[in-house]
Amino acid sequence: MSIYKQNYRAYTGKVTPIWTRVLVLARYGYAEAWSSKITVGIFVFSLLPCILSLFGIYLANNPLARALIGGQGPRGLAIDARFFLNILQIQSWLALVLASWIAPRLITYDLADNAMPILLSHPISRFGYVLGKFIALFTALSLVTWIPTLLLFFYEGYASPQPWASVNLSIAGGLLAGSLIWIAFLSILGLALSSWVKWRIVATGIIFGAVFVPAGVGGIVSAVLRTKWGFLLNIPFMMSTLWERLLGVPGLVHPNRDLPTVAIAAMLLLACIICLAMLNARIRAREVVRG
Amino acid sequence: MSDDRILFENVSKFYGEVLGVNKISLTIPPGITTLVGPNGSGKTTLMNLMTGLVQPSSGQISVMGLSPSEDATEFFRNLGYCTQFDFFPRGLTGWQFLLDSLLLHGMSRNDAFRLSMEAIERVQLGDAAGRKIAGYSKGMRQKIRLAQAIAHHPRVLVLDEPLNGLDPMARAESIALFEELGRQGLHLLISSHILDEVDRISDRVVLITGGYLIAQGNIHQVRQEVRDKPMQVLIRCDHPELLASRMFAVNHCVEARVHSDGKGVFLRTGDVDQFYTMLNGIAAEGLVKIEAVAPADDDANAIYQYLIGSDGSAS
Repeated sequence: MSIYKQNYRAYTGKVTPIWTRVLVLARYGYAEAWSSKITVGIFVFSLLPCILSLFGIYLANNPLARALIGGQGPRGLAIDARFFLNILQIQSWLALVLASWIAPRLITYDLADNAMPILLSHPISRFGYVLGKFIALFTALSLVTWIPTLLLFFYEGYASPQPWASVNLSIAGGLLAGSLIWIAFLSILGLALSSWVKWRIVATGIIFGAVFVPAGVGGIVSAVLRTKWGFLLNIPFMMSTLWERLLGVPGLVHPNRDLPTVAIAAMLLLACIICLAMLNARIRAREVVRG
Repeated sequence: MSDDRILFENVSKFYGEVLGVNKISLTIPPGITTLVGPNGSGKTTLMNLMTGLVQPSSGQISVMGLSPSEDATEFFRNLGYCTQFDFFPRGLTGWQFLLDSLLLHGMSRNDAFRLSMEAIERVQLGDAAGRKIAGYSKGMRQKIRLAQAIAHHPRVLVLDEPLNGLDPMARAESIALFEELGRQGLHLLISSHILDEVDRISDRVVLITGGYLIAQGNIHQVRQEVRDKPMQVLIRCDHPELLASRMFAVNHCVEARVHSDGKGVFLRTGDVDQFYTMLNGIAAEGLVKIEAVAPADDDANAIYQYLIGSDGSAS
């Protein structure tokens, strides 16, 4: 009989908290997202409106510059809630472009490569996996939404001769809340749709489609049934309405299209719940189906 | 006692209406256990159940007294899984892959660094660990996957087709590593189609087909349990024809075939005990000089053929 040395010892050291493990996945996602030159291109393009706005704020607050452009005065380049609403809207739609490019890179590769069994055989739950990817996408979208718009706000506060920032603090709150709601929604939507489509490019198209196609359907519903509730399928319309209200800008919409904020919030929440259900169904270690 | 064993108690797994595994009851002690079965037999489902990646539709699973639903961190700290899939996060070196895997296991950066070094040394990956995985050969990919599975010092190692794609040298190195880990008291559960190697490394086999457990245990014990298949014995001797004629005269000896080199005979018997008694008698008579006696179908390949068959359906 052989005599074996039972000298194998399992690891008994301390383990780190769960959130540090989630950050490893977020780092993977972030690296994957930014490994594409197209991502970098979209990001640079997304910053152009902010650079132009920065220039606009500079002009609006510089007396010499104002005089040079014809002395139109502050009314020609009014830096107010509407100015920031326009920036927020532009940046938010550019964020959609960025999300539709990045989100499929975060999930479809993992599903196509059968990564789930390896990743989930670590002490990381499916929720932790999705959270890691969400953090990666949310962070990337933050770079083109609330971070640059708030920087513009603070620059205006710095450049303005009057105590502008303290008086218009609600604009900053609106920019932050409006951006966070939109990019959180976009992140969940992007991840959910990407998890159901194997081909990355198709997933990109479907994310765009999910935002704009229901808008058309909602328009038809509203026209046929003569009701405003069809606009609850119109994500661009709902978000524009929400952003206007968050920034305190008077709406330009027709009274018949005026949706209650609660209904918009409920609709966005419902969409998020559906997306989470889609992720729950799809993000699994493995489903072996034998014929 | 149950704390150092893997227990399956009446475990079934259905994927919708499709059967994964059905009513499996198993007790796996430490050592090397090999899962054998045709493609789609439920081997990977059994491994996924053991690793907590899929939940059973019914029944209980306990891995050394642990369950992933109760304490995932402790469970996965004790378990290493090497899948058959070739997934690696893009752009990483072998070293980074290991380090990140250990960070995902909850190791501190210092421990992760130390354990990565140790695992790389153990699978003999050497300087290749610093290169990007995308440039690895298939054998090196298998090695880094194996390193990932053992790096955090698990007590249970589940390896899905770990020898696939390895050249003979790498295969021999891997088998030596498995044997060493098995000797050290680790649980190794290996699925493999390479039955010759199953024979070499396994303490136990688990045969499964169509989602049903066919047999489990030591290969020789399992073979002895298969009583409806006469056992084949090779006897090396100086007069094989004479021995064959003597043995063939009794009822339990159902087949005799002289070895191609003429220096032995394959005999198939339905009663091993009587067979050996009679063989002793012939040897004592001195008519035939017997040099060696060895079972000729007492291996995983024969058991597979007898119990599962070449078409994959249990006989």
